[in-house]
Amino acid sequence: MNGIGFRTLLAKETRRFLKVPGQTLAQPVVTTTLYFLVFGYALGGRVREIDGVSYIRFIIPGLILLTLTQNAFLNTSSSMFIAKLQGTIVDLLIAPLGVADLLAAFLTAAVARGFLTGGLVWLISGLFCGFSVAHPLWVIVYMLLIATAFAAIGLAVAIWSDKFEQLNVVPTFVLTPLTFLGGIFYSARMLPHPWDTVTRLNPILYMVEGLRFGFLGTASSSPYLGLAITGGVVAIATVLTAWMLATGYKLRS
Amino acid sequence: MPAAAVETVNLAKTYSKVEALRGLTLRIEPGEIFALLGPNGAGKTTWISIVCGLVRPTGGTAMVLGHDVVRDSLRARQQVGLVPQEVNFDPFFTPREVLRFQMGYYGVTPDDARIDEVLAALDLSAKADTNTRALSGGMKRRLLIAKALVHRPRVAFLDEPTAGVDVALRHDLWSYVRTLRAAGTTIVLTTHYLEEAEALADRVAVIDKGALVGLDTPAALVRQLGRKQVRFRLASPWTAGAEALPEPLRRRGATVDASGQMVICPVDGTPIAELLSLAGALSPAVVDVEIVQPSLEDVFLQLTRRPDAASFTRRSP
Repeated sequence: MNGIGFRTLLAKETRRFLKVPGQTLAQPVVTTTLYFLVFGYALGGRVREIDGVSYIRFIIPGLILLTLTQNAFLNTSSSMFIAKLQGTIVDLLIAPLGVADLLAAFLTAAVARGFLTGGLVWLISGLFCGFSVAHPLWVIVYMLLIATAFAAIGLAVAIWSDKFEQLNVVPTFVLTPLTFLGGIFYSARMLPHPWDTVTRLNPILYMVEGLRFGFLGTASSSPYLGLAITGGVVAIATVLTAWMLATGYKLRS
Repeated sequence: MPAAAVETVNLAKTYSKVEALRGLTLRIEPGEIFALLGPNGAGKTTWISIVCGLVRPTGGTAMVLGHDVVRDSLRARQQVGLVPQEVNFDPFFTPREVLRFQMGYYGVTPDDARIDEVLAALDLSAKADTNTRALSGGMKRRLLIAKALVHRPRVAFLDEPTAGVDVALRHDLWSYVRTLRAAGTTIVLTTHYLEEAEALADRVAVIDKGALVGLDTPAALVRQLGRKQVRFRLASPWTAGAEALPEPLRRRGATVDASGQMVICPVDGTPIAELLSLAGALSPAVVDVEIVQPSLEDVFLQLTRRPDAASFTRRSP
């Protein structure tokens, strides 16, 4: 492993998003706060409680997940796609950076952005609902795995994409619907049959429920099952991306 | 035998049905300045891209300082720096930041003294801390050169490094390339400026349609393939066509240029005095005489237009 190379690329990828904080940090925080205010307060009055938790507290883990996934995905996908578009990808392809160096640097920077923005959402929500966390270790492990999974998916999508339209296909038609249908604003138990079963085919549901267990101590599915499913998504996305980098798929002709 | 700086054996690359490289065998010695010449689409950039690890070969082998670019790619890449043909820049960073990253990628701890030295050599010191977006086209190209060299590569590939660079700076760059060579760096460059190859290169390879058609020192190429000419300017245009020239001149390959104003005769060993005497018989009369020395450009044109060019002699440095 090229230690200096890895640290350099990690520093570059981190500084890249810190250079435009309005876009990378403030924007997701504002958006999620609006979700929090509109859904939490507007619907909170009607729904009142789910699984013994006030509705406004119930949606916090989902909103953190929303920010975490979007930012982890965007960090790797935008960086890789811009590098391909501008031609600066050549710098990385001819440098003695191995697959592990590239993957570790891109994913770590994306996870850092995810944690930073997710953490900011948690801080803002804490101002409204308090800062109590039922199982902090579960929260950290879930956030780490979820951010890694979406960072790897973002990198894979950017490597695969030849134009902006393709870059937007996966988040628009796959990730966003799965995320919104993954129980951010409701519990799977609330759905009528057969949707309460169908929704359990969505892996993001287990990520939301895992985070919910970590923050609130209650969830509609086992946190261990969620951990296994989230770990599986991380493994598949990481192996796929590593394969793309190792074979030079759409990078080296 | 010490490892070559770059050695490719029967290197081939086929894109779908297009053969970009057809078994190119080249050996570049450490410390050489080596120029690759060829018309657009000849395969120069494909060859460089394979050696630098950007393109995968479909046949043959490529080694950099003894490291196979496919099987031992990281060690091979550790040795090289590349100035790509297309200008690229990262809009988020300044030249100084870009050069720090570049050193780091190669496992070299970023060193401001080295960065300042390279920025100064490429006349970029004043823009060191300006966003790369604000650099002019020429400055962006110079930054590419700085990026390729800042980590002190043992082999530097310059793919048309002076395209779009003004004349004064081009000469400064040539001088810098010579300094690099003096420090032991092997330089491989492609260029469309033949005088650049003539002025800089120890040896020149001419590539056409993916195959090697000429390889030697510039002087030897010119000596072997260049044809010294005598040009006779006539008092008025020759209208009868080349076939009407006096037989002794026709036998020596004399032609008439498009304007009819000039009769051109290759020297090919004939004493100049004899040619002058033969031209004395021309009517309209000769009013001026010019002896034209062959150039690398003539050789290049001859090699890349001649159907049997592949039979050209090769010579080691």
